[in-house]
Amino acid sequence: MATLAPLFDRFMVSRSVAEAPARLREQMDEFLVRAVPNEDVFLFTKAIDNTLVVRESDPAARSACWRMIASSAAAVAVVVGLLAPSLYGLLAGYRLEALKQEEQRLETMRSALELQEARLLSPARLQALAKMQRYVDPAPGSVVYLEGKPGHQVARAGRPHVNP
Amino acid sequence: MGDEEIKAIEQSAPRVRWLARIVLLWATLILFRLVQLQVVRHNDFRHLAQQQQEHIIEVRPPRGAILDRNGQRLAMSLPVESIYVNPLLIPNIDVAADLMAPILNLDRSRLDADLHECVQKHRGFLWIKRKAPEEEADRLRNLHVDWIQFVTESRRFYPYGTLAAHVVGSVDSDGKGLGGVERKLNDVLGGKPGKLLVTEDVRQRGFESEQYGAPAQPGHDVHLTIDARIQYIAEEMLRDTVVAHHCHTGSAVVMDPRTGKILALASYPPYDPNQPVRNEFERKARFNQAVSVPFEPGSVFKVVTLSAALETTNLRPESIIPTGHGAMTFFGRVVHDSHNGPAAMSMEDVLVHSSNIGAINIGIRVGKEHLYEYIHRFGFGQRTGISLPGESPGLVFKPEHWRPSSIASVPMGHELLVTTLQLARACAVIANGGYLVKPQLLEDAPVQSKQILRPQTVMTMRHMMEQVVLRGTGRNARLIGYSAAGKTGTAQIVDLQTHHYTHFYNASFMGFSPVANPSLVVAVTANGAAGTSGFGAEVSAPVFKEVMTASLRFLEVPRDLPDDALPVPDDGKNETNDLAIADLSDPTLLVPPEEAAGDSDGDQQGIFVPAANQVSGPQAPNFIGMTARAVAELSAQTGIPVESIGTGLVRQQYPLPGAVLPAGERVRLRFAR
Repeated sequence: MATLAPLFDRFMVSRSVAEAPARLREQMDEFLVRAVPNEDVFLFTKAIDNTLVVRESDPAARSACWRMIASSAAAVAVVVGLLAPSLYGLLAGYRLEALKQEEQRLETMRSALELQEARLLSPARLQALAKMQRYVDPAPGSVVYLEGKPGHQVARAGRPHVNP
Repeated sequence: MGDEEIKAIEQSAPRVRWLARIVLLWATLILFRLVQLQVVRHNDFRHLAQQQQEHIIEVRPPRGAILDRNGQRLAMSLPVESIYVNPLLIPNIDVAADLMAPILNLDRSRLDADLHECVQKHRGFLWIKRKAPEEEADRLRNLHVDWIQFVTESRRFYPYGTLAAHVVGSVDSDGKGLGGVERKLNDVLGGKPGKLLVTEDVRQRGFESEQYGAPAQPGHDVHLTIDARIQYIAEEMLRDTVVAHHCHTGSAVVMDPRTGKILALASYPPYDPNQPVRNEFERKARFNQAVSVPFEPGSVFKVVTLSAALETTNLRPESIIPTGHGAMTFFGRVVHDSHNGPAAMSMEDVLVHSSNIGAINIGIRVGKEHLYEYIHRFGFGQRTGISLPGESPGLVFKPEHWRPSSIASVPMGHELLVTTLQLARACAVIANGGYLVKPQLLEDAPVQSKQILRPQTVMTMRHMMEQVVLRGTGRNARLIGYSAAGKTGTAQIVDLQTHHYTHFYNASFMGFSPVANPSLVVAVTANGAAGTSGFGAEVSAPVFKEVMTASLRFLEVPRDLPDDALPVPDDGKNETNDLAIADLSDPTLLVPPEEAAGDSDGDQQGIFVPAANQVSGPQAPNFIGMTARAVAELSAQTGIPVESIGTGLVRQQYPLPGAVLPAGERVRLRFAR
C-alpha cells in the first residue's frame, strides 16, 4: 500500500533525488533484514546550515501581519458576539432544566418526609407509645398551663384525679 | 534555484491545476448538496428535527392534600414510577419474564403469558406494574434495557390508615376519587392537567421547556373540620363497643352545635383506603354508616316529639301525662310499655324515663300535622348537604300517607328512618338555641343556619335532657367535671324479608355538654345490639361519655362542675330500659332499600340499606326444658353453638327461640333444677 510520502516523492521531488536511494541500496548488504522499507528516504536527514541566512526587514510584511491580526480578531469578536448569546442561552437552558429536575426531586423528598412525619404522628402510634410508657390521660381540667393561657406549650399535670 | 528544480516545477504545474479543479468541483458539489438540504428541503428536515428533539409531555398536577383542622395530613400524594414495556421489541419473552418478575414481585407465569399474548396480538404496549415502589423501579432502571419504559405517576397515601377513612375516601388507580371527600371534591383536589413542550439534545437531556396550551393547575389542599385526635377516640370507642356487644355496625358523630362543623365522623366497620377492595366484606365496609345508612331511631326521637309539644300545645314539663301503669289501649289494641310505671307522670318524666305510652299520648296531643311539621323542621327526611357522597335523606312519610296507628309509632321513633348525622344535627338544635345548622366538613365553609325553635323551648328541652342524664335512662352518660344532657334510644330492628321486628336493636344516644353553654354534640348509634345489655343506655351512652370527655379536654373547654362531686346524689337505680314499643308499628311501611338510599352519585349506589335489613342468619331453636344431653344433640344437628351455665334443665335462653342469629352468635342457656 502506497503512503503519502512515496506519492510526494513521485510527483514533487526531482528525479536525481529520487534516484539517490538506488545508489545507496547498492552499497547495502542486500541480505540484511531491513527494519523499515525505504528507510533511506523516510529517515533521511539533511543538514541545513541557516547561520548564514539573514532576515531582511520588510515594512510591508509587518503591516500586512498586523492587518491580518486585527481583521482576525475582529472576525472572532463578531462571531463570538453573534454566537455567545445563543450559547449562553443553551447553557442556561441546561442549567434551568437541571434545576427544575432538582426542584422536582426535592419536592418529592419533602413529600416523602411529610408522609413519614404523618405516619410517625398518627394517633394510633402515639397511643401505642403512650401505653408503652404507661402514660395516662389527664383528668378534665388537671392540665395547668404555666403561662396561664391555653395553647402554651409548657404545661404540667395538676393533682391526680380520683374517681368518686 | 537550479534548472532542474525549475523544470520540475514546470512539470508539476498541470497536476496542481488538475488538483485545484477537482477541489473546486468537490466544493461545488458540497455547496449544491448544502443548498438542497438547507434550502430546498428545509421544511422537511425541520419537521424531522422537531419530531426528534421536541416532545410534548402531559403534566399531571399533584393532587391536593386533605388535612384535618390542626394541619395533620389525612391524605397526600407522592410521585411514583409506573413501568411498561413494548412487547414487540423484547428479544426473548421468557428471559424478560425471568428478569422482571422477581424484581417486581410478580407472578412469573402470568407475566410471561401476558407478554406472549401481546406479541401474538401485535400489541406494542403493556403495563408491567403501576405505581411501583421506588427501589423496584431503580433496580429495573439499572438494567439499562431499552424496551422497559418508565412514566411518573402520582400515588395517593393515607398515612393514618383507617382513621377517618369514611370521611376522606379513597382514589382509584387513575387518581379519581372513589368515595368520601376524595370523590365529592374530586375537581378541587385533582386540579387540571397541562402540557409542556420539551426540547432535548442527542442524549435526551432537556435544555428548554415551555408551556404548550393551558398551563397545569395543581390541586388545592382541602382543610377539613375533622380533628384527628377526636376522630381517633371516637373510632376506638365505637369499635370497642360494637365488638363488645356483638353489634353489626356502628357510627358516631361529634359536632360543634354552633357552627355545624363535624369534628369526628366514625363508622364501623373500618377500612384502609391504602388497600384496594378485595372482597364483598371490604366493599361493604366502605359504606359510611353515619351518613348513608338510615335506621329507625327509637326513643331518641322523643326529643322531637316533646319539642313539638312545647311549641304547639299548652303542655309544660310539669304537665301530667297518663301512662296507665305501663299498659294502655290504642286503636283497639292494648299496648304494653317496655317497663312498668305509674298511672301518670310529668312530661319531664316521660322523657327522663323514656315512657313510650307517655310519648304516644303527647304525640296524639300534638297531632300528626304539627308533628310532621316539626319532624321536617328538625331536618329529618332531607339531606343535610354535607360534603360527602351518597348521603341518605332518611325516610319520613307525609301525614296523608300515615296509617291511623302511625301517630302512636312516630312520636317514639318508629315508622321513619334517620341517619346518625341527622340525629346529631337535631340534637344541635337544642344545644345551640334553636337553630338548624348545616353540617360542615370544610374548615372555611360559611355557617348556614335557620331558627326553628323558640329559645324558651330550647331552654326547657335542655333542662329535661339534662335530667335524663342525671336521673333517667342516660346515667351512663354522666361526665366528670362537665354537665351533660342527652337522650337514649333503642329501637327493634325490622327484618324486611319477614316483615317482623327482631330482637336486635338500634341502640342510640345523642347529647351535648356543657349544658349551660354547649360546646359539643355527640350522637352514637350501634346497630344489631341484643339483650338487656343492648339498649342505648348500655351500649351508646358510655361511648358518648368517653368521646365527650376526651373531646372537651382536647378542646380545652372550661369545666362547669367540680371534679370530685356528681351534681346530684346517685339513688342507685340503673334505669336503662328505653326500648321503643314496636307493637303498633307496621314494618311493611319501611320502603325497599333503594327508596331510602343516598345519592345516586355515591360510590355506594345500590347498597344503601336500612340497618334493619342487615339481620340475617339461622333462627335460634327452642332449648327451654331440655337436658344438657338433648341440648348438645340439637346443637350438633343445627350447628348452632351454645354457652351453658348451671346444671339441670334449661330454664332460660338468650336469644329467645325464633330469633335470628347473626354469624358467630351463640345461644346462652341457663340451667336450673
